[in-house]
Amino acid sequence: MQVNREINILVVDDFSTMRKIVKDLLRELGFHHFDEADDGATAWPMVQTGKYDFIVSDWNMPEMTGIDLLRRVRTDENLKDTPFLLITAEAKRSQILEATQSGVDGYIVKPFTAATLNSKIHKIFERVAERKNSE
Amino acid sequence: MTFSTQIDQNLVKLLLEALESGELSQAGVLLDELTKVRESELYQRVSELTQNLHQTLDGLNDSSLLLQTKHDIPDASERLEYVINTTAEASNKTLESAENALNLMSSLQEATFKSIAGSDPENLQNMISQINSELTEIMLAQSFQDLTGQVLNRVIMIISSLEQSLIHLIDQSVHDYSAIPDRDKSAEEKSSDEMKGVGPNVTAKSKNGSTQSQAEVDDLLSDLGF
Repeated sequence: MQVNREINILVVDDFSTMRKIVKDLLRELGFHHFDEADDGATAWPMVQTGKYDFIVSDWNMPEMTGIDLLRRVRTDENLKDTPFLLITAEAKRSQILEATQSGVDGYIVKPFTAATLNSKIHKIFERVAERKNSE
Repeated sequence: MTFSTQIDQNLVKLLLEALESGELSQAGVLLDELTKVRESELYQRVSELTQNLHQTLDGLNDSSLLLQTKHDIPDASERLEYVINTTAEASNKTLESAENALNLMSSLQEATFKSIAGSDPENLQNMISQINSELTEIMLAQSFQDLTGQVLNRVIMIISSLEQSLIHLIDQSVHDYSAIPDRDKSAEEKSSDEMKGVGPNVTAKSKNGSTQSQAEVDDLLSDLGF
């Protein structure tokens, strides 16, 4: 299944090194439209513009956490179906459970490999395509 | 520091007499008598202060010195060890990659010159030299590991020292260090911490209830019907 490489992606993480790594890996997978935010709080107004087809976010950020950002996206009428991937060091079972209950589409724990990122993205967009087909 | 006791003037008179008449051992006894009162007052004061300190420590609540000493300081040390180990691992991996790449460049050089002798070997040579120098830069950049390692070791020493001082203080105040209880967080507090994010689970304690790899995460996700 070919994922549309022209999609707009928002990368959210308070560490610039991590944003760079995620972007570089996504670029190697063929994506090229990226924006960045350094916190859920700076990301949220950007997300509200409706520009993004895919959000990749960290959990642990000072002003607004990734899980909070996810919840806001899922409760917004216009944004609720936006594919959302968490890439985070948070690895407690209770946290993973919370993330799935909040509607996350994928969960990657740090440190991660390019292969993992690739396979999770494919899974996410497969599911998105399935949802569209069944509508 | 003032004392409430009045100096016994009679004893002083007797002391003076003993000194004037050269009765030194008698003078010694009298001097001891005089200072004994002061000494016991001093001991009393110190004992009062110790009792106060004990009571103060008793009255402290959970986020107190006691809990911080027993739990947070060793926790901080474990985290710093983790930083050292992780950066060392990363450095080693990077160095290995750089070395492998350099070896590959050697082979590439040989192979290329063999197959295209006649087209532009000088240009190729330049490119290869540039790549080699990039790789060498990568290796040199790893020297940060040594510097940060030294700094972190210092921090660990400082914290260790602080820990010892605090343990000593706790002992002096007649508290039992080994009787300091575990941190008691309510389920709500734990849950609230987790929602904010607790960072990488590096201490032995924090590994409880956490997944250790993407494979484990994926297992959990599929158990949840993902």
